[in-house]
Amino acid sequence: MRVIIFSWEYPPRIVGQLANYVRELAVQLVKSNVETYVVTYHDFLTGQYDEPEGVKTCRVKNPVRTHIGVLTWVLTLNQEVERAAANIYYNTNKHVDLIDVHDWHFIPAAVTLKKALKIPFIYSVESLEEHRSHNANSPFNMAIKSIEWLGMYEAEKLIVKSEWMRDEVFRLYKVPLEKVKVISPKSANWMKNVLETYKMSQGD
Amino acid sequence: MTRGLTVMMLTWEFPPRIIGGISPHVYYLSKSLAKNGVNVYVVTCDFPGAPQHENVDGVEVFRIDSYKNPSPDFATWVYLMNVNMQKEAAALVNSLGGKVDVFHAHDWLAANAGIGLKHVFRKPLLATIHSTEIGRRNGIHFDYERMIHETEAWLTYEAWKVICCSNYMISHVQWAFGLPVDKVVMVPNGVNTEVYEKLEKNKLSQFRSKFALPEEKIVLFVGRLVYEKGAHILVNAISEVLEKVNAKFIIVGNGYMKEQLSSLVKNIGLAHKVLFTGFVDDETLKRLQKCADVSVVPSLFEPFGIVALEAMAAESPVVVSDAGGLSEIVEHDVTGVKVYVNNPDSLAWGITKVLLDEDYANRIKVNARKKVQEKYDWNKIAHQTKAIYETVLNEYSKSFWA
Repeated sequence: MRVIIFSWEYPPRIVGQLANYVRELAVQLVKSNVETYVVTYHDFLTGQYDEPEGVKTCRVKNPVRTHIGVLTWVLTLNQEVERAAANIYYNTNKHVDLIDVHDWHFIPAAVTLKKALKIPFIYSVESLEEHRSHNANSPFNMAIKSIEWLGMYEAEKLIVKSEWMRDEVFRLYKVPLEKVKVISPKSANWMKNVLETYKMSQGD
Repeated sequence: MTRGLTVMMLTWEFPPRIIGGISPHVYYLSKSLAKNGVNVYVVTCDFPGAPQHENVDGVEVFRIDSYKNPSPDFATWVYLMNVNMQKEAAALVNSLGGKVDVFHAHDWLAANAGIGLKHVFRKPLLATIHSTEIGRRNGIHFDYERMIHETEAWLTYEAWKVICCSNYMISHVQWAFGLPVDKVVMVPNGVNTEVYEKLEKNKLSQFRSKFALPEEKIVLFVGRLVYEKGAHILVNAISEVLEKVNAKFIIVGNGYMKEQLSSLVKNIGLAHKVLFTGFVDDETLKRLQKCADVSVVPSLFEPFGIVALEAMAAESPVVVSDAGGLSEIVEHDVTGVKVYVNNPDSLAWGITKVLLDEDYANRIKVNARKKVQEKYDWNKIAHQTKAIYETVLNEYSKSFWA
């Protein structure tokens, strides 16, 4: 199986908890014989391609350097993510089984790749805008929420890390519960469950 | 090529959604390309009452939900709209079996979608740059403007070729984005002269009487009421014109300067001589252009100046500022009058000259119409554009993407 992981943070760029989690996930996937690519952002390791612990990692930077906020920053970065993912697709004889996108940032790219190249994706939820900015309903927050909604609507499956998050996803976005997989990174069956969910969601 | 060339146009406006000059441009270009055997798909923003999918004069038009996402500001709206545009366009390309040869994006407003589609489908992207942020704002002053400027630069970087509508814009985009000479191509904007011929002459005097008294000459301004279009220059020229000739000034268009301009007109006591019509429908606009004794284009920055061409096609004598694309369209004393940029005295002089010298006005408007028919014919422009597509596809066929 060939999987591309999208994450806006990945070591050595660590913003929050997500970076190390995604790294651990990628390393374990490699150990489970999944050909694993990570597409992530880095401002000066741009274009660098390396394979730490077998994880094929590409880093893109934002083609538009000046921004008025994280939202516009994310939205112009997505085309670079698409470019990197499309390069992987064309260089592997058009065979990518699945994209696993972590949080909202690269949802637009995942959706385009699904529509254009028919690569299905999983949306792995680390956190939601409702919790990051509690009760904030400005157009800025609503725009991020609308991207989260798009991701939940278009994804094959959602992976959440706790039952609480599953209930939140249901409460806030009305995602059918059978679409949501609760997989705790701390459980003994973590990798087994992830692989099962991947297999269920991959394209033909 | 056994099947006809297929192009997908990406534009934020297409009739009936009309915000500026891009909408009519893409409409006439697409229609003329279709007549010349090109398969044209237009992906654009939705508009109340307009269908999601229709065939307009041989052009397949698809309208996307452009107000799906809440947005804090215009630029963010544009980027979010592009998410949906790209998503819908990608699905459309797929439904066509991937048979799209070229993506053609118009201005930064469709940059993200164009760039994304280029990479996921590995097809060449062309960009028409109608205007630039650095030109509209007369410099880059804030991060917001710089972000748009850099988005424009990114689009020109990703484009196989950059099309501009005037020689002025060619040198402007080369300067603004540092583009190599062989990347930019000039294809003029066009104007449809037939629509003015169809207007019935006898009905025009009745129409005219709704706007001006019989003894008043009509001075017409058409454009968005924003700084760079220079409506304030015209307002400042009004009293000087009225000293010499009785006229009614009709200002068509909307924009953030409208309140400011109309209160200025009231304060100088000329409210009875100036009519702000706001946005008018196409039919009214064409009749107004046909009735105008002089059409004024006092822009401070003007990439092309389509309203000047329209006035020329309508046989209304034009007075334009010697700026940007206008300088190329109008030949002074031959096809119109050129006046100094940002200079109300000079503008008043130009307007008065045309209104007082009937022979002069007649001469320039006849010349102007001839010129428009020769040079700015849409069929000719479609041929030039098709030739650019073919050149690009020929180059593309030798690349590793093909």
